[in-house]
Amino acid sequence: MTLSKKISALILSLVLIIGSFGTANAGKRLHAAIADWTGGIITCEVAVQILEREMGYKVKQTVFPSGTGLWQAVAAGELDFACESWPSYAEADDVMFNEDLIYDGKVVKSYKGDGTVDLLGTTGIIGTSDYWIPRYAAEKFGIKTWKDLNKHKKEFATIESGNKGRLIACPVAGWNCHDQKRLDLLGIDFQADELGTEAAAVAEAKAAYMRKEPFLLYLWTPHWFFGEFDMVGVGLPEYATCEGDTFTEANNWKDCGTKGWPATGWDKDYTMNYGNPATFASAEHAKAKAFFEKMRLENVDQSTMLVEVDIKKRDVKEVVNEWLDNNPNKWKSWLPN
Amino acid sequence: MSNVVETINKTNRSKNIITYGVILIVFVVALVLSSQGEGPSKFPKVVTDEFKFTAWVNEGEDYLKKNYRWITKIIANYIKGVYYFIEDFLLDSPWVLIAAIIILPCFIAGGLKLGLFSTFVIYFWGAVGMWEASLQTVGLMSLSVLLCVFFGVVLGVACSQSDRFENFMKPILDTMQVMPAFVYLFPAVFFFGIGGAPAILATMIYSMPPIIRLTNTGIRQVSKETVESATSFGSSKLQLLFKIKIPMSLPSIMMGINQVIMMALALVVLACFIGAEGIGGQVWQAIRRLDVGWAMEGGFCILLMAIMFDRFSKACSEKDEKLPSNVQKFYLLPQSWEKYQIAKILEMPLFTMSKIIDFICIRTTNFIALIFSLITSVFNKSTANDIGEFIVQRFYLIPSLIILFIISFIDSNFYEIGSFPKEWKLSIRQPISNAVASLTVDEGFIAFSKGLRAFVYLNLLRPLDTFLTHTPWWYTLAVFASIGYFTAGIRFALISILLLLFIGACGIWPQSMITLSSVLVSVLLCFVIGVPLGIIASYSNRFKNIQDVVLDAMQTLPYFCYLIPVLMFFGGGTVSAVLATVIYSIPPIIRLTALGLTQVSGTYSEVSRSFGGSILQTLNKVKFPLAVPSLVIGFNQTVIMAFAMQIVTPLIGGKGLGLEVFNGLARADTGRGLAAGIAIVLLAIIIDKISLAYTKKQRVALGLAKN
Repeated sequence: MTLSKKISALILSLVLIIGSFGTANAGKRLHAAIADWTGGIITCEVAVQILEREMGYKVKQTVFPSGTGLWQAVAAGELDFACESWPSYAEADDVMFNEDLIYDGKVVKSYKGDGTVDLLGTTGIIGTSDYWIPRYAAEKFGIKTWKDLNKHKKEFATIESGNKGRLIACPVAGWNCHDQKRLDLLGIDFQADELGTEAAAVAEAKAAYMRKEPFLLYLWTPHWFFGEFDMVGVGLPEYATCEGDTFTEANNWKDCGTKGWPATGWDKDYTMNYGNPATFASAEHAKAKAFFEKMRLENVDQSTMLVEVDIKKRDVKEVVNEWLDNNPNKWKSWLPN
Repeated sequence: MSNVVETINKTNRSKNIITYGVILIVFVVALVLSSQGEGPSKFPKVVTDEFKFTAWVNEGEDYLKKNYRWITKIIANYIKGVYYFIEDFLLDSPWVLIAAIIILPCFIAGGLKLGLFSTFVIYFWGAVGMWEASLQTVGLMSLSVLLCVFFGVVLGVACSQSDRFENFMKPILDTMQVMPAFVYLFPAVFFFGIGGAPAILATMIYSMPPIIRLTNTGIRQVSKETVESATSFGSSKLQLLFKIKIPMSLPSIMMGINQVIMMALALVVLACFIGAEGIGGQVWQAIRRLDVGWAMEGGFCILLMAIMFDRFSKACSEKDEKLPSNVQKFYLLPQSWEKYQIAKILEMPLFTMSKIIDFICIRTTNFIALIFSLITSVFNKSTANDIGEFIVQRFYLIPSLIILFIISFIDSNFYEIGSFPKEWKLSIRQPISNAVASLTVDEGFIAFSKGLRAFVYLNLLRPLDTFLTHTPWWYTLAVFASIGYFTAGIRFALISILLLLFIGACGIWPQSMITLSSVLVSVLLCFVIGVPLGIIASYSNRFKNIQDVVLDAMQTLPYFCYLIPVLMFFGGGTVSAVLATVIYSIPPIIRLTALGLTQVSGTYSEVSRSFGGSILQTLNKVKFPLAVPSLVIGFNQTVIMAFAMQIVTPLIGGKGLGLEVFNGLARADTGRGLAAGIAIVLLAIIIDKISLAYTKKQRVALGLAKN
């Protein structure tokens, strides 16, 4: 074949693509982020599938690490909404909101930010976070609180941590857990090991549990891990922010000493969805906004789906689809009138 | 005469002794210094506090956001609009139509072989459930390739017309080609935020150099005689350019397009880090969930896509070889197997199939041509002939158009085809995951992988880490500067001091040293594994052929696919990061070892053998020294690739600068990410320059090149 014919083949494909532009039609569109822990992915998938199935939306989902970057992307309108934000992790939140977070008719938290990000409403999931050790280790060494950890740091050491103990830490830096800072402030002679993903951290913990080795693990509830394995929390000091000066990016991570965050544990988290104010102010998306205000996914429901996804290794879309099919009574009431 | 040789030998020997002595002393001093310091060496606080590069970048970004974001937003929105258009078309059209749009051009350009291959690729995308993700990647890639080819050809033509412009572009293009791909993502985020649009722009710029270069050389290589005869026929400058020069340089431009496609695919996949859609996101999600099967499916999708586009764009620029008419053309097996009867029988169905397709195509086209020329002949005889001729020549194009038309007609009028049928799904996720799971609980394998991890960590990584981080920064800097001075001269030494000072002043000296140490360990392992493989390949042709296929496949795969096998067998951690780096960056060292050894001309080895040298002696005393320049180039490329890999290793537990970049992106701290990204590039550039200068010296010393 001659060159010119081959070029005409190329042109054919281009002409076809460009010529078919006319046939494309765009529906209502929203752009969401895929979270970097399974629970968050499931919550978001529930919202996305309801928007797509019941409300004629087309939702585009982008993998994006959660953290300040995500907040800014939502504020800038590059993403329209993100799901299941945990307030005590998002230290930048006082820059972001200008609304109250309401749960069961009560105001659980109020935000006085500049409103560059809109609070869409709670997801319904209530989360807690702590450091945990397996029950067999707690009983063997008699560890009751975090204060007992130093005495047994040798048992918790690995090759990489040397003579310090090792904490399988909050895996993603963007979550702003500041584990090493917390350990240092509380005087726990452990090394925080960031493994990069939830799955890696949990896999490491699971392997250690199987070998009946002692290990210290950062984790949150609801999580499937607690259904499979018997874990005990070490009860970190109760959440507190130091007066006036919180430990945030805005004040250059100012150190509050042992009086407040990050020398304490996390607050009880009424998780929430948030979105771009301009997007949800428009009349086009009023229904979507109404839906987010009503959405209430319960911890139990997320946990059942977590088992399907993380233990049985099934596809998230499939699992959520199945849940929606089987439990219409749970979510039909979230739909806007 | 022999006296002269002896004295030269002597001075060489004493020179060697001095060099080794100096290296030893430098090393011992470093060891002493590093063991004295308490913690890791830090840059003086005064400097790092004053030099707030991170804050400056962030302030600049805020300023840009407040004042100029509207301009970039317009551009980004425009590109986003076009991209959504393409994406909607790809995802909402009946899947058969999209499949036909991809398969038919492949068939037309590459014949039955490529046609069948592309059919398989399309089926695979759908079967593993990555239909949408794959098409999103295709969409992003094709839009960036279109833009890139358009601007690239314009710039290339400009280069070919003006020497001054060419001289201006050349250093820019040189620098662009050394930069690792991820570097292009930063400015995109900086100016355009996250999402598909910045990914397209970054990809467009990243993949532009080859098309500019090849357009330029293609036009410049049009022979003088052609140009002169055209001018003598009175064609103007513009006519000359558009009628003669550009058409004649089309093969060269096509070659450029091939490279553009490959580069674009690599970056589009990586661009999931800045929020682009597609398979990259799928693989990333899979890695996050440690789902090896899922990640492998994504990896295969990318690999197949890369091979398909590569073959397609190559087929568009190559000419078919004509076979004698009595020979049966082979479609799947190599043509050289023609002598085997069984191969002929195996190929028979394909041969018949292509004959039938050709027959049908030609008949339909002839028929249509006849109708058209009959209609037009009513008005004008000669145009009718021309039109008939025109149609007959396009005997694949016309039937293709008809097929596409029929598909869309059926879809819109009779039966809605929709997206790829779910029943056809054939996931390989579960079997792979199960196989890996069964292997990873095997006692023997656990012992092996644990042993390897512990060995690499305790004997290589940790000592080097502590050594490099604890050695005082000024000492490391001085060592780099003096190596730079002795290999590349005073100017380069000064530059490298400045570059290293910049890294230190940004306050990321310890992270840089950690990155340096993991790169060095990876490169060392690459040598230990790669050089023997290269040696075997230089002796055995069969081995080399197999190896070439594997290495080709490896080099078309985007770089974070290499995380998958490592994650599979070794879990996450710093050692896994090193192993992934080794797998990614080993091809050049194998290739160039083999190349260097085979290039050593036969006479040298024969001479050595006639003096009674054994094979081992020949290899050791003659071949290796002569292959050193080639080896160093291999080292050079391996180092650069290893540095580039650092950007994705944090996904499986890598530390150092890569992690800084990652955290910078996640925390919207562009300054921090940028500083770390620049540091990776600067380290790579310094080592690159040093090794290139060293090769040049060696070549001169061996008499292979002139000074």
